[in-house]
Amino acid sequence: MQATELYGRQIALTVSEATALPPEAQRLTALVVTAKQLTCQRCGSSLVRKQARLPRQQFYCYQCLNLGRISTLTSLYHIPEPNEFLKKSQLTWNGKLTVQQAECAAMIQSKFATHQRHLLWAVTGAGKTEMLFPGLDWALTQGWRVAIASPRVDVCLELYPRLQAAFSNLKIALLHGHQTEPYHYRQLTICTTHQLLRFRAAFDVLIVDEVDAFPFAANPRLGFAVTQALKPVGALLYLTATPSHDLLQQVRRHELGLSYLPLRFHQHLLPTIKVTIQPRWWAKVQAGRLPLRLGHWLSTYAATGQRFLVFVPRVAQLTVVQAAIQRAYPRLHGLTVHSTDPERLAKVQAMRDEQVQYLVTTTILERGVTFPGIDVIVLGADDPIFSTAALVQIAGRVGRSRERPTGAVRFICASYARPIKRAIRQIKLVNRKGRRLRARMPVVSTTE
Amino acid sequence: MPVCLLCQRPSDVKLTLPWVLSWQPLLQPVVCAACWQTFTPIIASQACPDCGRAQPSRNPCHDCRRWGPLAFYNQALFTYNDAMQAYFEQYKFKGDYRLRRVFSQALLTRLASLKSAIVVAIPVTPETMTTRGFNQVTGWLAEGENSDWLRTKGQTKLIPQSKKTRQDRLLTAQPFELTATAPKLANQTVVIVDDVYTTGRTMRHAASLILENGAKSVVGLTLAR
Repeated sequence: MQATELYGRQIALTVSEATALPPEAQRLTALVVTAKQLTCQRCGSSLVRKQARLPRQQFYCYQCLNLGRISTLTSLYHIPEPNEFLKKSQLTWNGKLTVQQAECAAMIQSKFATHQRHLLWAVTGAGKTEMLFPGLDWALTQGWRVAIASPRVDVCLELYPRLQAAFSNLKIALLHGHQTEPYHYRQLTICTTHQLLRFRAAFDVLIVDEVDAFPFAANPRLGFAVTQALKPVGALLYLTATPSHDLLQQVRRHELGLSYLPLRFHQHLLPTIKVTIQPRWWAKVQAGRLPLRLGHWLSTYAATGQRFLVFVPRVAQLTVVQAAIQRAYPRLHGLTVHSTDPERLAKVQAMRDEQVQYLVTTTILERGVTFPGIDVIVLGADDPIFSTAALVQIAGRVGRSRERPTGAVRFICASYARPIKRAIRQIKLVNRKGRRLRARMPVVSTTE
Repeated sequence: MPVCLLCQRPSDVKLTLPWVLSWQPLLQPVVCAACWQTFTPIIASQACPDCGRAQPSRNPCHDCRRWGPLAFYNQALFTYNDAMQAYFEQYKFKGDYRLRRVFSQALLTRLASLKSAIVVAIPVTPETMTTRGFNQVTGWLAEGENSDWLRTKGQTKLIPQSKKTRQDRLLTAQPFELTATAPKLANQTVVIVDDVYTTGRTMRHAASLILENGAKSVVGLTLAR
């Protein structure tokens, strides 16, 4: 194994595998076993003794198995990050930022320079990636090691070509669970947050995109991974359109800085949510009829050809809803999509290509997709599966194009559930800030 | 809430009135019904009598007719399908020792029905014991240790069975030996337990070793065929 493969990494190896290591490699305990506690040193999980047990008084971590098993039979091998990089500017991107974007980019760069932990609350469709470029370039010029991580692999896959285009002379490492290429030591790494578990004190700057997305919020190991992968003096930047309660709590405790970018790139406000209470919507749809309001909206869509998405809470409801729509409005042509659908990508592409007028979908399309100029309807928005973040993201699918910067976001639900109220409040808050910002900047920039 | 060991979804156990009144402990299934259905059990009346392969007739299958006579036959519990392959990947190769509980009960029940005094599991090499950390067969039956009287000759396995072709596997030499602690085998029926019966080479090596040491007959029991 080459030394560069261990720079800033922590790799689990058994004694027989760890024979040909470079001399400077450090050996770290993999699992700390005490009389009362059992802690994985890679993912930080506290383990239940009975479940983690192997024969002969050995233990293994069942929480981070997918990255290769770590047990008392293995050790972690690590070489401290030496930052062996060229210190020169690599940015080849020559696009322009809007006035607020540039302001925001300068702020990001200053946070990097002062090694701060920071949260950037930028609305959906604000153009976050471009705003990172100046800061990234500055950090790379310092010879710093930088990573951009996201809980979702599709976000990483989308970021990689954009960054590669912006830094066309720089080699970028892309790491995720389905990656077939071997690991290479690179100054800039794009990876899923799971892959961060393989790093230790590696990055001077770590950016976590879509930090509220599944599974980051629900998985304390990933939060641990972020802290572990960052150097003790490193700068951390969280990016999100829908910060979780927990993150805002950290802001309140002054553990995290906060700044807003409340306007989209086209300087329009977010579309607001309109809620219709319809307690028996599901019974109606099951009987093959449509709730009254839904029927009105759909008849308009059938007449105008307006494209739209329908979100439902469960996979099993997809076909029922679609059948009811099909029966009432045979002229509307649409498909259903869910996460394990084998034709998922093709169907989403069909919607992008405007071959179909609508999709009925579950929460998988809540983020990361842009269909210009659509409307959105959420059925059963009070279902526990729709979190506040999910609802705000769904609302954020609307009005993403310059041609149609507004649109309708409609919820049909049995009651005003707490996440719905919070989502409405969050959008109102951001819009209030956006309006203030627009008032402060009378000249509406029209550059891309 | 208990989760299914295979798909990690919460299993919904319904508390019924008969159960409440029975004063019995609540039996939590370790896997959910949906996951369990992906495994295909082999019915004895529709399987090869020699190797336990699922087939319509009760005549020995074409693979078994090629083997010489031996006082040995094999029983298998499940067909080796995609779900079983995924299970072995997770249990044996990724090393998730918790998954032993998925088939533990099924194997122990079948083993009890064989009513044999002597049971032995196919051992793993000492090297595997230090990397995987457990014997996958005794994981189902007992504590995950190797059996004390049947052991592998070598310290390491140069090429794993799963990486060999059928021809290579059939040419494998006797990998096992008995230790001095072996019980008296004369006129006994011995049950050998293994994870998968593929070509039968491993099983028949172990069986012939035990038969040479005086056993009357040997029954193989594998989880998959």
